[in-house]
Amino acid sequence: MKFQNKLYRLTALAVLFIAAGLPSCNVDPILDPNNPSITGITQNATIGELQNLVVGIEAGMRNNLNNQYDGISVIGREYYRYSTSDPRFTSELLGKGSAVLDNNTFYTTNPFNARYRVVKNTNILIEALQNTKATISDPQRKAAIAYAKTMQAHELLMVLNMQYENGIRVDVADPDNLGPFLSKDESLNAIQNLLNEANIDLKGNTVDLPFSTTLFSKNASEFSKFNRALAARVAVYRRDWNLANTALAESFLDLNGPLTDGAYYLFSTGGGDLLNPLFFPRNSPPAEARVVHPTFITDAEPGDTRLSKAPKRTSTASQDGLNSDYDFYVYPTNVASMPVIRNEELILIYAEVQAQLNNPTNAVDAINRIRNAASLPDYTGPTDLNSLITEILKQRRYSLFGEGHRWVDMRRYNRLNQLPIDRPGDDVWQQFPRPMTEL
Amino acid sequence: MQHSKRLLCLFCFFAPVWLFAQINVSGTVVDSKDNPIQFATVKIHNSNQGTSTDANGKFRITLPSAGGALEVSFIGYKTQTVPVTGSLSDLIVRMQEDVGHMEEVIITGLASATKRGNLAHAVGTVSAKQLVGTTPQATVDAALYGKFPGAIVSANSGAPGGGISIKLRGVTSLVGNSQPLFIVDGVYYDNSSIQSGTNFISKAAGQGSTNFQDNPSNRVADLDPEDIERIEILKGASTSAIYGARAAAGVVIITTKKGRTGKPRVELGQSIGWQMQLKKLGQRSWDTSKVRAAFGANGIAVYNANEGRTFDYEDELYGNVGYMSNTRLSVSGGNEKTSYYAGVTYRDDEAIIKTTGYRKTSFRLNLDQNVAKFLDLSLNANYVESSADRGFFNNDNTSTTLGVSFVATPSWVNLYPDANGNYPNNPLAPSNFIQTRDLITNNEKVNRILLGGRATWTVFTKGGHDLKVIALGGLDKYTLTTTAIFPAVLQFQKDGNGTNGALIYGTTVANNTNFSALAVYELALDNDMRFTTQAGYNGFNVDLNTIVNTATQLIGTQTNLDQAGSIQVEQNKNISKDRGFFVQEEFNFKDMFIATLGLRGDKSSRNGDADKLYYYPKASAAFNILPLTSLKTFSLLKLRGAYGEAGNFAPFGAIYASLVPVNFSGTTGSIVDVTRGAGDLEPERQRELELGLDAGILNNRVGFEFTWYKKDVEDLILKVQTTGSGGFSTAWKNVAAIENKGVEISVNAVPVITKEWRWNTQANWWKNTARVTRLDVPPFNVGAFGASLGTYRIEKGKSPTQLVGVGDASDKVDPETNLAVFGNTEPDFNLAWSNNVTWNGFELNVLMHWKKGGDNINLSTLLSDIFGTSPDYDKRTLDPSGQLTDGPYRLAIQGATARPWIQDASYFRVRELGLSYTLPKIWFRDVARVRVGFSGRNLINVFDYNSYDPEVSNFGIDAISSNVEVTPYPSSKSFHFNVSVTF
Repeated sequence: MKFQNKLYRLTALAVLFIAAGLPSCNVDPILDPNNPSITGITQNATIGELQNLVVGIEAGMRNNLNNQYDGISVIGREYYRYSTSDPRFTSELLGKGSAVLDNNTFYTTNPFNARYRVVKNTNILIEALQNTKATISDPQRKAAIAYAKTMQAHELLMVLNMQYENGIRVDVADPDNLGPFLSKDESLNAIQNLLNEANIDLKGNTVDLPFSTTLFSKNASEFSKFNRALAARVAVYRRDWNLANTALAESFLDLNGPLTDGAYYLFSTGGGDLLNPLFFPRNSPPAEARVVHPTFITDAEPGDTRLSKAPKRTSTASQDGLNSDYDFYVYPTNVASMPVIRNEELILIYAEVQAQLNNPTNAVDAINRIRNAASLPDYTGPTDLNSLITEILKQRRYSLFGEGHRWVDMRRYNRLNQLPIDRPGDDVWQQFPRPMTEL
Repeated sequence: MQHSKRLLCLFCFFAPVWLFAQINVSGTVVDSKDNPIQFATVKIHNSNQGTSTDANGKFRITLPSAGGALEVSFIGYKTQTVPVTGSLSDLIVRMQEDVGHMEEVIITGLASATKRGNLAHAVGTVSAKQLVGTTPQATVDAALYGKFPGAIVSANSGAPGGGISIKLRGVTSLVGNSQPLFIVDGVYYDNSSIQSGTNFISKAAGQGSTNFQDNPSNRVADLDPEDIERIEILKGASTSAIYGARAAAGVVIITTKKGRTGKPRVELGQSIGWQMQLKKLGQRSWDTSKVRAAFGANGIAVYNANEGRTFDYEDELYGNVGYMSNTRLSVSGGNEKTSYYAGVTYRDDEAIIKTTGYRKTSFRLNLDQNVAKFLDLSLNANYVESSADRGFFNNDNTSTTLGVSFVATPSWVNLYPDANGNYPNNPLAPSNFIQTRDLITNNEKVNRILLGGRATWTVFTKGGHDLKVIALGGLDKYTLTTTAIFPAVLQFQKDGNGTNGALIYGTTVANNTNFSALAVYELALDNDMRFTTQAGYNGFNVDLNTIVNTATQLIGTQTNLDQAGSIQVEQNKNISKDRGFFVQEEFNFKDMFIATLGLRGDKSSRNGDADKLYYYPKASAAFNILPLTSLKTFSLLKLRGAYGEAGNFAPFGAIYASLVPVNFSGTTGSIVDVTRGAGDLEPERQRELELGLDAGILNNRVGFEFTWYKKDVEDLILKVQTTGSGGFSTAWKNVAAIENKGVEISVNAVPVITKEWRWNTQANWWKNTARVTRLDVPPFNVGAFGASLGTYRIEKGKSPTQLVGVGDASDKVDPETNLAVFGNTEPDFNLAWSNNVTWNGFELNVLMHWKKGGDNINLSTLLSDIFGTSPDYDKRTLDPSGQLTDGPYRLAIQGATARPWIQDASYFRVRELGLSYTLPKIWFRDVARVRVGFSGRNLINVFDYNSYDPEVSNFGIDAISSNVEVTPYPSSKSFHFNVSVTF
């Protein structure tokens, strides 16, 4: 039996050898080696982490603005976007032939998703502010939440501008339980309410936000003026002229102040930062370019200095049956800021509100403020509402050129049919389709 | 002492002449035609002692006085056992050819092997001769095309340095890893493809697709094909289950060469060759009216300024004849205790575009040492250094890549530098591709060390019991350096375009380790029953760390990162830990009935629940029915069936819900990732059932293998588009299942064997069809660039590789989705036919490959149409009304239908062709064997596809979204002159 014993002994040894390795069979989870987790930050954020979320919001607001502005401006017949690497800018966006807008491609989904991503960040910021154990005073906490709501309202408005009659979802805090799509009017109301709610905690609140912001001011009561500016814009869209009027009064509107005062999207050449996404050097080859719609030049009054936004090219740029001799040159450098909202728009909103409230003299004064700034003589046309609105829409077209307004303005006054058609069979779309994933 | 008595009996039985003195045997090993066989192994049965035959097939060996048996083996021949009872001086061992390769030993478990004749499943095998015997090969993966059934091996582009996708038996994953696991001598071999970051310039990921399209190579390219002895390909879960959680896409087991007992064997090889563009497309011819139509007045000005001269830019850019050289030296040998193999390869290939090319140096040392009677050690070491200059290609959104810029430029624009070397700006596009080609760098450099060690402890071998314990460990360490330099003088970097120069420097450090310990117990019972039991555990650690620095606003022509105005850093770590165990039981009755049962359990930090064990079972049976029949013509008749399961992880990071960093105005911030992570993700699971029939006729001169399989991939993970209003564009989910069914047929035959002639032929035919059987999300489009240009669509009941797009009146448009199906990337079938003909010293090898069907999305055509440069722009073949020429016609329906861009990608090609001649040995006094030859790759190509090569992938090895073409690096063909000397 000795052999048997030896066999057992050797087998036992071999089994031991194998068993020795078994304890190392436990596998501990490995945390994400690349990024902080959402749960960590919503449970107990430090002041630094709150600041990170704010920077995330203000940086994220700029994502995909190129597709957003190109979509709005091309359909609004402000400029053409030539891109040989993506011909859909000149086919689908302009409704060429039988081409229609796609509900599942970049110009529809990318801006939509980019805006809601920022909305998500604002919701994370709100949750983080509610749970944080960092030393923040109660008014500060309230003001900070109001900041988040103001930003959220702005981003939702940007989505609604593209979706229009489709409406949008406003209650989106829980991605597993998304709120319903509201109608266009309900959506606008919800955005207005969000701004108004926020303003309760901002207006007259003298504290500083517990973080810094590049938008307007860190001081809560000052930030309220930015909130009110947005509120005035929303009120005008809602045709709530009285609310618009009071919001304007509490905003940073300054009839005699610089037209460029306001809040801006910032760009820089810093590492990892974004460059102005609408910038192209002058005379860029037509393969990749933004060129101004010819009617912008032909419809202008002589001497309008705002035509400097559309300098003449050295050669005509042609693509896909479209031609233009003028560059889109609103942003003269690749780090030029883009307005979120600025005084020139507020003055024009003021003009519109005054016209609608039947104060034509005030309206004309505001119009003249804008006209004179563009080296144009005072307005001499009729002062009935319709004429004033036509004039205001025209001034908005030239003052806010390429800033995402023309299409929205023509639409809210049911004048999309007045936008020019370049090629037989082209269409002017009323809105972008609801993204396929939302159906 | 009972056992020693038994032992004595055994010896007496085998060696009746045990009492005599030492036995000396000398003799000759010959083939059936009495030609001597060199390098045949002559071994004493059941010992490590042995030798090998010389150039004349002669050997000399000394046996212990007890006598014994000689085991004579040589690749391609049946092993012969010759009992020896006394000294012999002129023994002739006549080897019988193993025509059907039924004696070939195939690895079937982590530590066990089976004769091919006993296999219960189809295993693809590629021998060294099949791999590199016909023509030199730059990379291993590129050498596998058509050499075994059941795989789609496809080059992503023609860029030097590789970039190959291998997909085994259809679609195994949608977004997870779809490439097989590579194991080289027991070491897990990393096959990552790491993006170099040139997306910063190309902005390819943005408008239509969020995926990077930097055209990286994959790291299995680092392996030197010349070092490889054999490759076994486990194509699905039924065979790969024992490799568990990472094996769903199949396993490629690579065994490198080993030294053999006998005097040193030296092999020297040199090959020189040339490569050139596979297919030229030509350029559009121009006149004033065409110029005006395409480019307007601006174009006319440029056209007139050049006086209507045109330039052959296709030849300028792609017309380089690249000189290729491959130098090879190996030395191997050994004695009873030690054997060694050392090999060095130096390869230097220029490519078809000036300033691009591939260089590789590989050194390998394999050592085997018998330390004691019961202990064997082996060590495999490999060091590789390679450098690939890959050009700048694929999709972009900035018209800066060489490919896009080339199609954007008509032939009448002068892009050549002036006498002072100043390049003109391209007046019609944002970049001058001649300037770009000459001035940019886009290089991948690799330094890689691979170490593998194995200790085999024979615990005992007695009376039918055999227990071994094996420990093995491996280390795979490399540094990949990607260097992209875009100097500030480039048209798209200067004067406010771009960023005034850019440096994109990436470094990936990989540090992967694996280890296993296992025990194998073999039990042979008297009545021809054998049991093989194995059990063990296994660990695998991955640690990849990639850092990409992007510096812009460069100072002059400086290329240091600190000579820049702005720098951006990205870092990405991939860390994981797997632990698993396995058990397997094999049962063999008289080589007639062979059954296997096995189970693997795996844990991994790549799962949402890291400590949860996932089990992967397998079972198989083979039944040699020939002995039960009275069929005389058959030499083999076997039925077999196998079932197994294997896993696949979600892409790294999918289980994490995270915030990603942003840089803004000099500060940093956090924003939610666009993709929603899911901690509850389950690994993908594949269940495969395989049934087959193997037959051999006329002593296996004709062999036949038929395999049918059904492979269900369940819990497929998808990055699904999610309701964007939730804040995430996409989310990871287990949402789908796919069923693959396929047939593989292999026929090999030796139709001619005469004294002088010999013809060996093998044909492989295979076909796979896939169907989505479960989809928990609404059908969605994925891959490529959206429905107007053609896209994949995942839809229940349909093939996951279907291509759909918007359609017009002449397409069959689904009224609900407004989409029409235009094709499928899956081929109807593949047929590969290889032939080997020898006549005296001549040898001719031909490998032909026919891929029938399978479509591509060809957006090179779209881009060249838009710029009016398509070579077929003015042909009139497409418009049913005959009014428009092809270019304008395609553009006219662009946006309304995706039809023009989805094109049949069938091809027939002679992949390899080689003719060699072995010079008469007598010229070299029988000392050396000298072979000279000519060979070529892709010399004959037949396809209708409207571009350089139907084998293309803009998105690299992605599981879904391959077969998309956007101005790739064109493919090449090559021919070579080869000399090899063996002595």
